[in-house]
Amino acid sequence: MKRIACYAALTAVSLFPCLPAFAQDYSGRTLVVGTWGGDIERLLREHVAGPLEAKTGAKVEFLLGGSGDRMSKMVAERNNPTMDVTFQNIYEAPAALKEGLVVAPDAALVPTAADVWAGMNDGCYAMSLVGLGIAYSKALFPEAPEWADLWKAEFKGKMAYAPYPSSEGDGMLAVAARIAGVNEHDPDAAFAKLAELGAPVLSYSSLDEVFTLMDAGEIAAAPMISGYVLSNLGNYEGIGFVFPKDPGPVLVRDMVCQVANSPEPELAQMFIDLALSVETQTAYAKELNFGPTNSKVELTEEEAARVINTPEEVKSLLQLDWSYVIEQRSDWTDRWNKQILGQ
Amino acid sequence: MKQTPDIKPIATALLVAPAAILMFGVFILPFLFLVVLSFWSQAPGSVGMTPSFTLANYARIIGDSYYLGGLWTTLWLSGLVTLLCLVLALPLARWIVLHAKRSKGLLIGLCILPLVCGALLPTLGLVNLLSPLGFINGALKSMGLIKTSLPLLGNIAGVSIGLVQAFLPLMILPLISTIERIPHDYEKAAMSLGATRLVVWRRVLLPLMLPGIVAGSLLVFCASLTAFVTPQILGQGKVVTFASLAYQQAAMVLDWPFASALGMVMLLFLALAGLVGALVSRGLGRRT
Repeated sequence: MKRIACYAALTAVSLFPCLPAFAQDYSGRTLVVGTWGGDIERLLREHVAGPLEAKTGAKVEFLLGGSGDRMSKMVAERNNPTMDVTFQNIYEAPAALKEGLVVAPDAALVPTAADVWAGMNDGCYAMSLVGLGIAYSKALFPEAPEWADLWKAEFKGKMAYAPYPSSEGDGMLAVAARIAGVNEHDPDAAFAKLAELGAPVLSYSSLDEVFTLMDAGEIAAAPMISGYVLSNLGNYEGIGFVFPKDPGPVLVRDMVCQVANSPEPELAQMFIDLALSVETQTAYAKELNFGPTNSKVELTEEEAARVINTPEEVKSLLQLDWSYVIEQRSDWTDRWNKQILGQ
Repeated sequence: MKQTPDIKPIATALLVAPAAILMFGVFILPFLFLVVLSFWSQAPGSVGMTPSFTLANYARIIGDSYYLGGLWTTLWLSGLVTLLCLVLALPLARWIVLHAKRSKGLLIGLCILPLVCGALLPTLGLVNLLSPLGFINGALKSMGLIKTSLPLLGNIAGVSIGLVQAFLPLMILPLISTIERIPHDYEKAAMSLGATRLVVWRRVLLPLMLPGIVAGSLLVFCASLTAFVTPQILGQGKVVTFASLAYQQAAMVLDWPFASALGMVMLLFLALAGLVGALVSRGLGRRT
């Protein structure tokens, strides 16, 4: 009996590190999370920060802004980071890991990471799946367009783009490359093909700005990332959104990263664990139309139709060589400025 | 007789020290880092920096017509905005000094308003006014004056309107201060001697207003040269200014050394503008 009790005690002790660290009191400590403002911040407060604060006693502080600002912050604070968790774009995450700015994904530290679709945790943990499709004016496109339709002469000079560098810009270059019969490794062909669309009507700083003009038919189309667009489409009757088939939409991922050498690594891991949980990922899908990366999320047929949520769907998407793309950032930014904007 | 030590220099040093330390820490040191950084380079295919001396960033600016074009656009846009502000502010400042009696404080307060409410909100308001579906185009269309929208955004016209709106107070305030010191009798005396209004303006008022004009022009020119938010939003990515290029390189490409070099070039032109202003002021001082 004594031996059994001893084994039980040993088993309990050996399992202890695997138990969620919520039991520990983190009162008086602060976790700093860098992310985008708006709906993302709201969902993270509701589904991640709130429960984490309740369970640990720690305070979660959000730093809001663009992912480029957060990359700059990580580089500047490389030796003494003040941010614990950061949300980055797919094209930044592998570079951040290569530079030693973030901790490599590890299911031993963040148990829910084991539930993420295989191969998704590239550089950081995959938070959501979205695709680059086409937002278009229904007045100018009676039927949902394919990528190649954008090159029709009547739409020349009627596009809108997100400011470059961005996932949207890189994705559109990759699409242009494929329309030209090559891929993103041939930037000469990609830029030449994209330049055929003419200078854009505008580089937009907000969705409302571009949607208002698109709704009125002043802008024909814009390559856009699905989540936000689908959430906003209800306000604009004259705008449609489509995932083209040839080539398929470009896969874009939002990533959540643990900053290397951050002040609160344990809290950061707990935060990421909650962010990847079925509950948070379901809320992302239902409220933002962001595809879940957690394979255990179950959606209704209607919800599933609006998001990318299965490996089969992911396979149908165009996946870019992001490591290569990020290495071209400086050169491609110059070329975008000159060949696309400066036509 | 016992002499009391002179504590004045020590007290002065102690009073100045906190501000001096703060300035050194948050301005001088980062500025020196900026200078050094501009001579480093970004490691190829990386967000890291190579800390070895190079003139490559400056060579890139000088050798690339795109960046020289951006510099030229920024300079002449700043000059245009300065000129527009001057033309608008001169009669307005003079009217406020001569004719606004009780409402003078209120009018000066209204003039200062764009300065104190930040750049972002007024600029976003201007987007609604100037866009193809905005108030101005809508009004002109409803009056039957135009059929298609005038392009008031994404070009020099839109950015100039935004910058003039933002920086007009920087011209008005020095002008009010200068005009207030000009005795009204000078104007009357000139006219009694047969000078026309144009001659009074050209030979009496404008020379006397020159200190205010120089100060206001310098302020507006420098503010326009470094403006970021207004050209970024109203230019819609199609008006290339040095500040927007520096932002793109620093925050999006993460090429800090090149962004620092762009910043240093901008600082060089600020210093040149300051030098010209100082020389003109000195010349005016000698003349008076």
